[in-house]
Parts: sequence; C-alpha cells; structure tokens
Amino acid sequence: THHHATPSIPNRAQPARRPGNILEEARARLHVSAVPESLPCREQEFQDIYSFVESKVLDGTGGCMYVSGVPGTGKTATVQEVMRCLQHAAEQDEIPPFVFIQINGMKMTDPHQAYAQILQKLTGQKATADHAAALLEKRFSHPAPRKETTVLLVDELDLLWTRKQNVMYNLFDWPTRRHARLVVLAIANTMDLPERILINRVASRLGLTRMSFQPYSFKQLQQIVTSRLNKLKAFEDDALQIVSRKVAALSGDARRCLDICRRATEICERSAARLVGMSHVMQALDEMFSSPYVAAIRSASTQEQLFLRAVIAEFRRLGLEEATFQQVRSKHQALCRVEGLQPVGVSEGLAACRRLGACRLLLLEPSCLGVLQRVRLNVSQDDVLFALKAD
Amino acid sequence: MSKRKAKDAHLPIGECISQVHQILRKRFCHQQLPDKPEGVEAQHKHLAELLKRTAVHGESNSVLIVGPRGSGKTMLLRSILRELSQETEVQKNLLQVHLNGLLQTDDRIALKEITRQLQLENVVGDRVFGSFAENLTFLLDALKKGDRSSSRPVLFVLDEFDLFAYHKNQTLLYNLFDVAQSAQAPVAVVGLTCRLDVLELLEKRVKSRFSHRQIHLLNKLTFPQYLERVRDQLSLPDDFPDGKFAQEWNAAVTTLCEDRSAEEVLQRHFNSSTDFRSLHTLLILCLSRVSVARPSITPADLLDASRLCLADANANMLHGLSILELCLIIAMKHLNDVYEGEPFNLQMVHNEFKKFLQRKSNSMYNFEQPVIMKAFEHLQQLELIRPADGASAKTQREFQLMRLMLDHGQIMEALQKYPQCPTDVKQWAMSAFA
Repeated sequence: THHHATPSIPNRAQPARRPGNILEEARARLHVSAVPESLPCREQEFQDIYSFVESKVLDGTGGCMYVSGVPGTGKTATVQEVMRCLQHAAEQDEIPPFVFIQINGMKMTDPHQAYAQILQKLTGQKATADHAAALLEKRFSHPAPRKETTVLLVDELDLLWTRKQNVMYNLFDWPTRRHARLVVLAIANTMDLPERILINRVASRLGLTRMSFQPYSFKQLQQIVTSRLNKLKAFEDDALQIVSRKVAALSGDARRCLDICRRATEICERSAARLVGMSHVMQALDEMFSSPYVAAIRSASTQEQLFLRAVIAEFRRLGLEEATFQQVRSKHQALCRVEGLQPVGVSEGLAACRRLGACRLLLLEPSCLGVLQRVRLNVSQDDVLFALKAD
Repeated sequence: MSKRKAKDAHLPIGECISQVHQILRKRFCHQQLPDKPEGVEAQHKHLAELLKRTAVHGESNSVLIVGPRGSGKTMLLRSILRELSQETEVQKNLLQVHLNGLLQTDDRIALKEITRQLQLENVVGDRVFGSFAENLTFLLDALKKGDRSSSRPVLFVLDEFDLFAYHKNQTLLYNLFDVAQSAQAPVAVVGLTCRLDVLELLEKRVKSRFSHRQIHLLNKLTFPQYLERVRDQLSLPDDFPDGKFAQEWNAAVTTLCEDRSAEEVLQRHFNSSTDFRSLHTLLILCLSRVSVARPSITPADLLDASRLCLADANANMLHGLSILELCLIIAMKHLNDVYEGEPFNLQMVHNEFKKFLQRKSNSMYNFEQPVIMKAFEHLQQLELIRPADGASAKTQREFQLMRLMLDHGQIMEALQKYPQCPTDVKQWAMSAFA
C-alpha cells in the first residue's frame, strides 16, 4: 500500500491566526521564509544568471555555471527568482519552453541518489540509483524530436563528492553532449571548490563560468530589512542601522539580520513600547551573540569555581596549558584550606571536574583514567579570571 | 465524604508514613513536575511564547536550551508543554515529535522515528516502510506540501542535541532547520543540550539556518534560596489526607532546616553542587530512614546521608584489600615518590617490598612470587592500577609498565582507617624513604 502513499501533514482544525497588530505583522514579514518577489541588492547577479540561462535556452545548447558564496548571501533565492522569471517568460512565449528541476546535496542520503531524484523529477519514474543513471545517460546522449531544454539546479554541490567523483563528472559531462540541451547551475559555499577537491577532468567540464556572491555590506542589509518591512513603521532607523552594522561586521549573513530583528520585535512587545528601539535591539544582539561561558562560570558552585582557580594556578606553575587531575587536586586542596572550606575527597573533586567537563568549560580525557586524566581549559584564562573576579 | 471531613480524618501512623514515602519518592525519583518552575521566569516566558506562536500563528522557529546537567531543561520544556496542552487551540493543532540523541544514534533511525510519530502514510501500524532515501524524500515532500496557515504545526524536541551534530553530514539537522527557515509546514525545533559550545559543532550552512536563539538555564541560587528549596522539596502538600500529620511533618522539616548542624551539611552540599539532582539524591537517602518508629527526619539522618553521598569510592575499596595488597600499594607509593610518577612494573614493586622485608626481617610477609603476582593482578582488576601504555599483549606480565590510580592522601587516610593494620606496615608507609 505504501507505494501509493501521499506525503502530507494533517490539516489543522481552524486556519492559523492572522497577525493582529503592527509588531506581529512586522514579525511575519521579517521571517526568513517570507522571501520577497524580487531580492534587493542582488540585481547584478540576477542579471548575469538570467542572461546566461536565457541565452542557453534560446540557442538550445547546454552549459554549466558555478555559483559560490558564504551561507545567507542569497544564492539559492536569486537562482530561484531567475527561474521564476524565465518560467513566466516562457509562458508568455518570449522564449522556448523548458523544464526546471532542482536537487540539494544535503537532502539526499547518498550522492548516487541524485540520479534517482533527477529521473523522478524529470519523468516521475521511480528507479534505483544505478538504473536511473543508465536511463539519464540514454536520455541525454541520444537525440529526440521536440526535446526541451532542461535546467538543473544543484544545491550544496560539495556533498555530491565521491571518491571517484563520478556523480559530479556525469552532471558536468551531460551538458557538453550535443543533444543533451542541459543547463546545470551548481551552488556551493567555497569559491575554490573546483580547484580544491575536483579532479582535473571534472573541473575542466565545470568550465570557467563562475560567479561569487559577496557577503552583504551594512547598507545592503539595511536595505533588505527596510524593503521587507515595506513602509511598515515598526523600527526606529537607528535600531535597524545598528543591527545591520553588527551583522555585516560579523558575517554578512542576511538570515542572522532578519532573526535578530524578529527577536527584537518580541522583546519590544513584552516591554509595551510601540516602536522597536535601540534598547530592544541591543538586548536581542546580546542574547544571540554573547558567549555563555562567563555567565556559566559565575553560576558554578563554590567548589567548581575553586577547581577552575586551581587549574589556572597549576597552569601558571607548570607553564603549560595542560595538567593532570592529580596535580590540580593538590592546588585545589590548598585553595580549600585558604578559603576555610572543608577538604574535598577525590570522588567529590572528580565529580566537580566532570561537571565542568560536561558543559565544556574544561576539556577532559575519558573519565576511566581517573586521577590520571589530563585537564585543559576550553575558555581563555582571562575569561575565567574575569568571571571569578567580578563578584 | 466532604472535603473538610477528609482533612480532619486521622489515619493510622503507618498509613501516613507510607503516604509520605509515596509522595516524596515521586518528587525525588520520578522527576515529578513542580506546579510552577522557580527562578526561570524569563526563560519560561520566552519559550512558552515561542511555542505558542508556532501553534497559533504557524510561525516556524528553532531554539536551543543550554544548561549544565540537572539545571531543569527537560523540566522547563515539559512544564510548558503541560501548560500548552490545557489550551484547546494549541492542543488540537500541535503535533509533537520527541527524539533523543542517545536512542536515535543515526539519521536512519531518527527518520523512522519521526515518520512513526507523525503517523505519515507510509506507516502501517508501527512499522515504517521504504529505504532510508525514500523515507527522507517522503518526509521532506510531506513537509513541503504543507503551508503556514492550513497544516498542523510540528514540534520537534531533540534531547541530547549535541549528539545529533555527530551524525553523518548533519543531514537531519540541516533539513529540520531548513524547513524552519522556508515556507513549508510550520515547525518548531527545540534542542536540549548541556554543552555550552554546541554552536561550534554545527557545520556553517547548518549554523546559518539555525536562528541562534539560545535559552540559557543556569543555577543562580544563593544559600538561603537553597535552604528554601530543601524545605519546599520535603514539605507535604496541603491536600495530604491527614491534616494533623502533615502539619507536624512540615513543622519538623522547618526545624530541621533551621538546625545548626543540618545547615552545615547542606552548606557543604551547596558548595559542591547546586543542581536539583544531587539534592534529590541526598534527600532520598534521608527519606529512606523514615519509618513508623522514627516518623521524622532528624539532623543526624541528614549527616549520615551526606556521609554516604560524599564517601570516597577508592578509599572504601582500599579498606577491603588484604595486607599483602596494601603492602604492594605502599611500595608503589614509595616508587612514585622516588621516581616522580614514572610508571613501574611488578618487579620494581616486588623489589621495593623485599627491601621492607629485609629491614624488618619479619617472616610473616614472606610470600612466593606467584602469590605476589596474583595480588598484583587483583589490584589491576580493581582498576587501582592500570597499564601505562594501553594493554600491550607483547610484554610479559611481570614487566608491563603500570601506573597507580590513587592519590597519596587517599592511601594515608585509608591506612588510618584500615581494620587492624600492623604497626610495622603503618610505619613503613609513613617513612619517606623505605
């Protein structure tokens, strides 16, 4: 029976509530999933990809293009927008009709599944990976009357890497066949992927049509958020500016920017202010970027804090960044005496050490080594001292 | 029977005690949810609002709850889910999927579990059909078909989240976060983990798709608050069948918490760890001493329980060794002192022991080599000593290098408490150079 199963999630009893006020409306628009019709600040890239694919579709030839850029710079969204526009143009009979399919390296369990997925999206046929490869090979190497151009978007290309690289080889080799009429758009994060991991014959078939997406600058991030809000007055201008400056300085990831703005609207809602101001944004930035280590050290128990002190004291004595539990323990006992606390047993000391290891303030060897296990700090000594001194 | 009457009813003392055991054990051992989680109001509000928005507005979200072990992460989530389940609009719509990194050790198992818990159409009874690849495509297609306003939101709870980051390619995490960031069926992904550096485990494309919302749960208790918590945990609720007994019990608990020696014990425990779980282990040990003959917890009970909790495991093991084994341990201690922690083998230990015998010329401890070897092996089985460089089968047992897994303080302490320890052995242990 499962062959005819339809994939679906059950429906809800009543439709979801619409956003009720300005802040909720802003939050809905700022959600990463609410991709706008046309992406701001990516006009040039849009144009380049559009003309590349359009020319291939018009000529009835094939080709490859490699798109790279760090996560969150709008690669997939831009390509999908291009394809939407081209499909619209094809409907208006401005260009010949074509087929668009996309696969994602992360959404398959094994690189060879790519064949099966392409075949299924092209013809609706289910086949094993090997069989699908043979069928695709036949399809792309033999001429057929009234054949349409196929545009294939391959996202997360680096995951299709296998030792022999035959999946990648085939993907880039098919477009070079005379009758294939296949355009492959490959997307990955690293700019030098073809030089780094691809063997020569694959890299050569990928060709030199490359495009790299730069991380967004602060002006662009600001524009993205403003265009999403679309004249909805929910944010103070200064607040938007600080978010975009901060994100641009760290990563230039548009997703981060939108997430922070969304979190700021939540904080604003709670404080009963009407506009999202500087303080809300600063709090959101703080929540998302601050490291939890200092707070964790401050809330650790007295013995755990003493243990950390002992670790640093022992490091200073040894001049190394590593010590055995036994060595730290002697310092720990001495510190207990200084502080006027009862001495700690070995089991108790080990338990404190392990608790610190479990939340990765310390890096430990396997605990079966007992008192011989070596201890390292996972935070800088300055951070530990700062956290312990401030109270 | 009216409520008032029930409250005034007197039960036999045995009945009361068994009731007390039942109520408190549920609290300590079964992690019963408190009526209202304490000290985490801000985090509670943040998470509750987030889940509610997912359920009501169909907004997709992802969040990580980070905190040390025993800081109440699961308790927080469960109490929020309990609250939400009382609101009809939420309860009718929200689908829940619970995964645990210790059970779902790879993506294949996790996917089957998700499909099973969602009761998708490729599930018959409790069996999931299709290969790993088919399951993944099926699930992703199902989620893709959904949309924000009409399909039921799904809540994914990933317990031990850091273990999911070790799955191949982090495929499951990528896909869950990707669904949360694209216009598909609304999902909320909640991860629970004790690792503070969990974000560094994520691949950068997975990290980019995660919303970077982290809820930190840290125990920020002061000692008076800790005492208060002990009292709350031990107190009987108002709806206890025998009102008079409950009053007496609660009064006894209050006096216990005000007692000077009990306070000292609790201070010691507070110093060593502030989490709920270690407190519960202490209290359950106290509770197990309550019986009909002794119907309340005394400071002495607390002291005994604390002694049990803080007992040193290795020192206790030393008390059970034979004199020969103890002598070998002392010989090893001397070797460690002289050669500054360099590993030793059986021959060296035996020589050290022989020196002692020669000086004392006491034929009482004249053991044959095989007997000493047996004692040495016994120590190794107890893991009081361990091979220095892995278990190399090539070297003979006499010459295999070993390390002592004990602290010197531990050995000296154990010698003091050892039943009928011969004086010459004690003296030998004390002397710096044998």
